Amino acid sequence: MKLIRKPDSMTPVQGSHSPATGDESATGVDRRTFLRRSGLTLGGAALANMLPLGMMRKARAVDITRKAGVKMEHKRSICSHCAVGCGVIAGVQNGVWTDQEPDFESPINLGSHCAKGASVREIGSGGKRVRYPMKLTDGKWKRISWDQAINEIGDQLLNIREKSGPDAVFWAGSSKASNEGSYLQRKFAAFWGTNNMDHQARICHSTTVAGVANTWGYGAMTNSFNDMHNSKAMLFVGSNAAEAHPVAMQHILRGKENGAQMIVVDPRFTRTAAHADQYIRLRPGSDVPFMWGLLWHIFENGWEDKEYIRQRVYGMDEIRQEVKKWDPKTVQDVTGVPEADMYQCAKTMAENRPGTIVWCMGGTQHHIGNNNTRAYCVFQLALGNIGVSGGGANIFRGHDNVQGATDIGPNSHTLPGYYGLSEGAWKHWARVWDVDYEWLKGRFDMTKKYDAGGGKQAYTMNIPGIPVSRWIDGILVEQGNVQQKDNFHAIFFQGHAVNSQTRGVEMTKALEKVDLVVVSDPHPTVLGVMGNRKNNTYLLPTCTQFETYGSVTASNRTIQWREQVIEPLFESKPDHEILYLMAKKLGFADQMFKHIKVTNNQPLIEDILREVNRGTWTIGYTGQSPERLKLHAKHRGTFNTTTLRAEGGPVDGDYYGLPWPCWGTPELKHPGTPILYDPSQPVADGGLTFRARFGVEHNGVSLLADGVYSKGSDIKDGYPEFTADMLKQLGWWDELTPDEQKQAAGRNWKTDLSGGIQRVAIKHGCAPFGNAKARTVVWQFPDPVPVHREPLYTGRYDLVSKYPTYEDHKALWRLPTLYASVQAKDYSKEYPLVFISGRIVEYEGGGEETRSNKWLAELQPYMYVEINPADANDRGIRDGDWVWLDGPGRDTNNPGPAVPSHIKVKAMVTPRVGRGVIWTPFHFGGWYEGQDLLDRYPKDTAPYVRGEACNTATTYGYDPVTQMQETKATLCQIKRA
Amino acid sequence: MGRILKIVVVCMGAAGLLGGCYRAPNDVQLHKPGVYEGPRDPLLAVEKEPQQQKRLQERFQLVQTDR
Amino acid sequence: MARMKFLCDAERCIECNGCTVACKNANEVPWGVNRRRVITLKDGEPGEKSISVACMHCTDAPCAAVCPVDCFYTTADGIVLHDKDLCIGCGYCFYACPFGAPQYPKESAFGVRGKMDKCTFCAGGPLPDNSDAEYKEYGSNRIAQGKLPACAEMCATKALLAGDGDLVADIYRKRVLKRGGRPKTWGWETAYPS
Repeated sequence: MKLIRKPDSMTPVQGSHSPATGDESATGVDRRTFLRRSGLTLGGAALANMLPLGMMRKARAVDITRKAGVKMEHKRSICSHCAVGCGVIAGVQNGVWTDQEPDFESPINLGSHCAKGASVREIGSGGKRVRYPMKLTDGKWKRISWDQAINEIGDQLLNIREKSGPDAVFWAGSSKASNEGSYLQRKFAAFWGTNNMDHQARICHSTTVAGVANTWGYGAMTNSFNDMHNSKAMLFVGSNAAEAHPVAMQHILRGKENGAQMIVVDPRFTRTAAHADQYIRLRPGSDVPFMWGLLWHIFENGWEDKEYIRQRVYGMDEIRQEVKKWDPKTVQDVTGVPEADMYQCAKTMAENRPGTIVWCMGGTQHHIGNNNTRAYCVFQLALGNIGVSGGGANIFRGHDNVQGATDIGPNSHTLPGYYGLSEGAWKHWARVWDVDYEWLKGRFDMTKKYDAGGGKQAYTMNIPGIPVSRWIDGILVEQGNVQQKDNFHAIFFQGHAVNSQTRGVEMTKALEKVDLVVVSDPHPTVLGVMGNRKNNTYLLPTCTQFETYGSVTASNRTIQWREQVIEPLFESKPDHEILYLMAKKLGFADQMFKHIKVTNNQPLIEDILREVNRGTWTIGYTGQSPERLKLHAKHRGTFNTTTLRAEGGPVDGDYYGLPWPCWGTPELKHPGTPILYDPSQPVADGGLTFRARFGVEHNGVSLLADGVYSKGSDIKDGYPEFTADMLKQLGWWDELTPDEQKQAAGRNWKTDLSGGIQRVAIKHGCAPFGNAKARTVVWQFPDPVPVHREPLYTGRYDLVSKYPTYEDHKALWRLPTLYASVQAKDYSKEYPLVFISGRIVEYEGGGEETRSNKWLAELQPYMYVEINPADANDRGIRDGDWVWLDGPGRDTNNPGPAVPSHIKVKAMVTPRVGRGVIWTPFHFGGWYEGQDLLDRYPKDTAPYVRGEACNTATTYGYDPVTQMQETKATLCQIKRA
Repeated sequence: MGRILKIVVVCMGAAGLLGGCYRAPNDVQLHKPGVYEGPRDPLLAVEKEPQQQKRLQERFQLVQTDR
Repeated sequence: MARMKFLCDAERCIECNGCTVACKNANEVPWGVNRRRVITLKDGEPGEKSISVACMHCTDAPCAAVCPVDCFYTTADGIVLHDKDLCIGCGYCFYACPFGAPQYPKESAFGVRGKMDKCTFCAGGPLPDNSDAEYKEYGSNRIAQGKLPACAEMCATKALLAGDGDLVADIYRKRVLKRGGRPKTWGWETAYPS
């Protein structure tokens, strides 16, 4: 038969595809199969609001299809999803983001991406973005102009300030802002007159920063992802790098191929555990017993590095006393880990040095988080693994710029650079900002002193502000019990989700009570739609980091420069422009932007970074000028991918991104410090000692290093931190130039704005911050030696009497904070399942941005709970069933009957979680107690995927040192819906 | 006479009508099993260039190795 | 002449879906169609392994062998491509393919099976290289630009490799040697329980 064929006009490939649906529930069902079998036919008719993409595109998004023959420019940015800091090459045609290429020259990711990094081009389409300022009026979203928005918000804030004082506004800044943006956020709060400005680090690694900094000086990742190529052993405790830091796994697996042993400790058999040599299942909340149980074997067998301890560690004998209590039998009872596994793990770490330890939320998010983090550090100190390549405490940070925001950004307990909130700290920054200290003081509420904790009274200017983990209590707690003039009457969230904080039911009440809510974000976020608000919520369209430029600090302290890819979409504005407009309206813009050039309402980013360079001496954010960072970006291909050092080229000898501390002024050309506390390198070359932060002696024992010092150091022993006086004593004072001497007189390495003290110290091979021992005992903390305490909501109530929690505090971080009174009740009978939550690779953080990305949304359409087959069978639950997850709600601000929480999710039956433990991802939002909040979103801004926020069902519990929330150990019950 | 004329006219009419069914020999696409008959992909010519292979090899080394 | 091949190193694959999304990004693959997918065996249990799968660009391609309209062609370096204009959407190549690579996006909202779509090794189709028409129907033609498939170039851990089969094999061989006496290939624990 003759076939006659004429080419017909092709319609573009579009529409949706119905995957094979099967009914057999096989074993080994993976996450995607499970979700397909849940009956979701992706796209098409199934979900009423998911139109085939062809139809979607016409609606509101920018068409990001590539066009042939149109000139393409390439811009380089950094992925905005996590702190690994993968380079992104964006191809732009006529201002539209039409192409994405691998940034293979970047020494950090070598071109690689995870699903999120590979999806960033979608951000340029802006399909679900808030396009213009909006105001909620009588339950409806109305479009308003920027002028109207700024004026109305500003007027209300000024009103609140007059009636209730500046502390009556809670400001949330962002870990997703650039360094310059987050620094301005902190400065803004200071000029407004409050410390009530905080960001995501609070609920992420705040316990790490506090615990680690108080152990050896700085609370950041000590080595780097790349340095893990050199590790001989890797211990992951509560870290699921395969899903939370996927590209870091590239370096981890390279290390594994180089012969490293990998041990993963987690209540779940995670995707990271699938690559481990040894996997240990841990009872949630038993990190301290676990680490002490390991140390028990270390000490028992004499595997500790005695010389290292003698020279560089203080207080190990007190640790030995505590560790004695954790014999194998006790450890097994409390952690669930058998002796053989503990021994094996300890032996592996002891025999394979240098070894590194990695921990993330699994360790930090507990009400004894600061104990956990210090226990991890002590373990590494015992093995002599700190300050060596391949070793270290490799703390994987979360958001793309949480490190930068923690370093110089919106923290309620400190000014930029960890200077704190003392008078000295304020005076230092007043000098840097070139404002009169008395004027700055006058911005604060100086009418009355309040309870600053520890029996002290202070003005709110010197008391840490209410942190982002507790802003709801700032609204709900009785006015007399908040240690400031009044409760919060307004909240202003710039770049921060709310579904990542616990106690969602009480959050709903708080939102209904507070007067003004402002959401400055690319998307409405859960904050825009949660609660039953009908009026006075504002949405300010804020652009992403791809629509502006600036610097960003990755987890390994490397600072990278981002180029602007596209102009801000629709009417959105960058963080710094919004802050400028607000500052202008509120009346302090002239002072705040005194040395920052502003053109067309846009503060100059380079000027902001230079101001940071002028003021942040504590952590060495002084050498990373915009010029040096841009040069590093341009020549990133010259850096070695293991050492991160440039080999040849215009930046020869520098470490990539000038990881802080990058001492002295940019003119000093310090190469950055890739590995912290490594005395084998000269300080001028990136080496370091432990910081002398805690005094020179304690209880008669010297805290200074004993016979250990940096290579090339003129002082061949321990020494305290450098001051002008010390330089004079050493006879080095005259090496300062006359200019430097003028500025440095009477000051120390942190407050000398000339950088001379640092320069001279380094010239003599000394670390400006001293050379001390790390301390394993933190005498200022509630538990000087880290001890175990049962979680407030624990499944092992029998252990509470032996390991009880703290006493209640009347005022901690300005709020009454409960411990014993919460733990007094046994919830484990009614709520027998231990409830933990975490990350999945497809989404990030609160999830609004990633769930609005069509490429990512397709991969994870449902909120779900992982439940062990035994627990599922006990409850008659089958894979894919809808279930109610009930939390033991407790109205912690008003006595009375408990208000339990309920969320409706799908069940995924899997052996990934052990019996008695269930797990949910935390990225979802947009549902509340079974109800889809779609109608509350402004038109066309609801994310493709919405689901219950797991934190609607989580509970009370806060670390006394940092107010970290206890999300990694609470209780719940599950039943079929 | 009239009948022959009628027959001739009918035959001519039939021939005229049948003319529409005419197909030139090169109008038909013969199906040869296993042989692709679509348009020629310009990529095939690019592949033959000697520098193309080298380009791809260099690209591989640059992007996909653990450099 | 090199033969283009994919290889996914299951020892390095962490199921991050970077490859899946990189493909969607580079080729504007619509919702519901995944030219590349990650398959996980023994999900959640010891021995869990993941591997990324797309068209394998077979040397003796079953899809091409069974196609009734012969819309497939193979380039000199082994990339299997097809002409969507000739394709009649019969689905027989889907039967034949051992990897399930062919997929059929709906042409309209009523679910009629449309033209077959599959991984092109980022080499586009028979239309002019990197023209708007080729991009719309087939996606990117990175090969014509001297680049390699987006999925492999963006793999988070360099598990997925794509390029000259000899070079790919070289890398994998080196890794196997480096891993030395600690192979974790699937099934090893059955033969050598620890």
